[in-house]
Amino acid sequence: MTGPGQAWLVAVRELRERGRSRVFLFSVLLMLVGTAGAIVLPALLDTGPAPRDVGLTGAAPAGLVPALRAQGEAVGTTIRVHRYDTPADGEAAVRDGDADVLVVDARELEWPKRADEQLQALVTGAIQLVTVRERAAEAGIDPDRILTVLAPPPVSNVELGQAAGRSPGDENAAFVMTLVLFGAISTFGAMVLSGVVEEKSSRTVEVLLARMPARSLLAGKIVGIGLLGLAQVVALGLVALAAGALVDSVDIPAVRPAVVAWAVVWFVLGYALYATVYGALGALATRTEDASSVAGPVTIVLVLGFMAAFATFGSIDTTWARLVSWIPVTAPLAMPFRVAMGAATWWDLAIAVVLTLASIAGLVVLGGRIYTRAILHTGASLTLRDAWREVRPGSR
Amino acid sequence: MLEFDSATKRFGPLTALDACTFTARPGRLTGFVGPNGAGKTTAMRAVFGLVELDSGSVLWKGAPIGPEVRARFGYMPEERGLYPRMRVRDQLVHLGRLCGGTTATVVRSVDGWLDRLGLADRAQDRLDTLSHGNQQRVQLIAALVDAPDLLVLDEPLAGLDPLAIAAMSDLLEELAAGGATVLFSSHQLDLVEDICEDVVIIHAGRVVRAGDLADLRARATQRFVRVRYLGAAPDWSGLRSVEVTEETDGEALLRVDQDVDLGALIDAVRRRADLVSFVYQPPTLSELFRSAVAA
Repeated sequence: MTGPGQAWLVAVRELRERGRSRVFLFSVLLMLVGTAGAIVLPALLDTGPAPRDVGLTGAAPAGLVPALRAQGEAVGTTIRVHRYDTPADGEAAVRDGDADVLVVDARELEWPKRADEQLQALVTGAIQLVTVRERAAEAGIDPDRILTVLAPPPVSNVELGQAAGRSPGDENAAFVMTLVLFGAISTFGAMVLSGVVEEKSSRTVEVLLARMPARSLLAGKIVGIGLLGLAQVVALGLVALAAGALVDSVDIPAVRPAVVAWAVVWFVLGYALYATVYGALGALATRTEDASSVAGPVTIVLVLGFMAAFATFGSIDTTWARLVSWIPVTAPLAMPFRVAMGAATWWDLAIAVVLTLASIAGLVVLGGRIYTRAILHTGASLTLRDAWREVRPGSR
Repeated sequence: MLEFDSATKRFGPLTALDACTFTARPGRLTGFVGPNGAGKTTAMRAVFGLVELDSGSVLWKGAPIGPEVRARFGYMPEERGLYPRMRVRDQLVHLGRLCGGTTATVVRSVDGWLDRLGLADRAQDRLDTLSHGNQQRVQLIAALVDAPDLLVLDEPLAGLDPLAIAAMSDLLEELAAGGATVLFSSHQLDLVEDICEDVVIIHAGRVVRAGDLADLRARATQRFVRVRYLGAAPDWSGLRSVEVTEETDGEALLRVDQDVDLGALIDAVRRRADLVSFVYQPPTLSELFRSAVAA
C-alpha cells in the first residue's frame, strides 16, 4: 500500500487524535451552545419595548391617564403614570430618572434632555384625544362618534436595512455566518500549519517519509483536519437551522438551508485553498516558534479577505463587491456573505467556484513541491526562495 | 541484499558520499563505522530516499528501491522522532499500518514487541511521559513493527545503559539470524567486532574498508603482539620493524609486519623483559579503523 491508502491512514490519525482532544471537543461544544443560544435566547428574552414612566402635575383633564395607557397599548408600550403634587417634585423625578417626561398642566412636556420623539408623539396624542373629547362634549357632539371619526388608520413599521430586499435580520445572519467561516478556515488552517511544524520539529517526519511519499503525508493531513472542520461547520449549520426553526424567528430569515449549504461548500473550498498554503509554509519552519512568522503573510491575506467581505456590506450590488466575491483569496468569505444577502446569481457562483478550484489545483502543485523539498531540511528556517531553488527537475 | 553502487552525494562544497560501494547481506549483521561526519547517516538516509543521490544508486535485491519496497523496510533515524503527544500503542499501530500490514497483524506485532521490551504497561501512555531509554525502545519497535527484510539502524546503541546495550545486541543478532539484512552504525567498535560478521568503514565520504570482518583482519598486512611482563618497562629500542603502539604498566602492544619472524621476536623480547605472555594476533576492528582513517 502506498500513496492514497497511506494518505487515508494519515487522515484517520488526524481525525482520531485531534477529535479525541478535550480542548477541541470543549471548544466545539462551546461554539454549538453559543450558536444555539445566540438564536434562541433573543427570542425568549424579547419582552417588547421597555415600560415608560410619565409624570403628571398640575391640572390634568379627566381621562388623560386611561388615554395615555390606551395610546401606549396601541404601540406595544406599557405606560406607567406617576402623579406629583408640585412641578418641583415632578422635575426632581425627571432629573433622577424616575420619570421619562413630566406633563405640566397638560400643556407643557418637560424632558431630562432632548425630547424623546416617540414618547412625545404618544403623550401629545393622548392629550389631544382627551381635549377633543372634552371640546366635543362641550359642543354637544357625542364624544364617541367624534373619536370614531378621528381614529387613525393602523400604520405599521418596516425596517428596510441598507440594501434593497434585505432585512437587518438577513444582514445580521450573514455577518455571523461570515465570522464563523473565517473562524473555521483560520482555526483548521492553523491546525495544518502546527501539525506540519510538529512533525518536522519532532523529526517524526523522518520516520514517516521513510515509508511514504511526502505528498501523501501532506494530503492526508489536510484531508483529515478538513474532515474535522467540515464536521464542525456542518454541526454548527444544523444547530443554527434547528434553533431557527425552533423559535421560528422572523428576525433571522437568512438562516435558510440553501445558505447554510453554500456556507459549507465555501468552507471546504476556502479551507482547501488556505490549508494547502499553510501546509507548504509550515515545512519551511524548523521550530514551533517559527511557525507563526513563516505563515504570517497568509494569515494577513486571510484577515484582509475577511475585511473585504465585510466591506461589501451596504454596497453588495456594486461591481467591486462582485469582484471581491469572485477572487479566490476573498471568495470563500465574500461569496457566502453574498449568498446570504440574496445577491448571488448562479453565474456569480459558477465563476467563483471555478476560479477557486483552479487556484486550489495550482496551489496543490506548488505547495506540494515546496513541502517536499523543505520538509526534510534541518537547521535554520528556509525562505520560500530557498525551498523553491532546491526544486530540481525530476525530483520526487 | 542491499547494495550501494558508487553512491555520491554533495551538499554544496561538501562531498558527503564519494562513490560509495558496499553491500549488506541477508542473515548477517553489518556494522557501519566511521568518524563523526564521515557520511554514515547520509548513506542510511539515501536508502529511504530521504537524501537524493547526485549519482550512483542504492539497490535492493538488484533493483532500484521503489515506494512499495521502501515501505517494508525498518528505519531508526539518528535523530529520534515520534509524535510526542501520541499514545505509544496507537502510534506504533499507525506506523505499522503505514507499512501496509492489516490492523490485526500490526496490533499483534506491536503488542508482542511491547511485551518483549517490557513496555506493555506503558502502551496507553503518551510517548513524552516515557524515559529516554523507553522512548528509544519505542523507536526501535517502530522500525521492527512490520517484520522488515531490511533494517537500517542509525546509532541504535547511543545513549543506552550497559544492560540495554547487551539486550539490543542480542536482539540484533537474533534478527539477523532470522534472515533479515541488518545495517547499523555505531561508535562502539569493540561491540561491533563482537557481534558483526561484516563491517563497512567509511571516512570522509569514502568507503575505506568493507566486507567480512574476519577476512579484513586476515588480509591486513600488519599484526599485533600483546606482551605482558613483570618488572620495569623494558627498553624496546633496537627491535627492527616493530612499533610500540600502546604501553601501560606491565603490558605493551607492538605492531609488526605480517611476515615477521616470531621466534626471533620472542627471543628479542625475552632478552629485554621478564615475559609473562605473548599473544600474536591480527588487528582488531579498532586497529583496522585507526589505520584506515589515518591513511
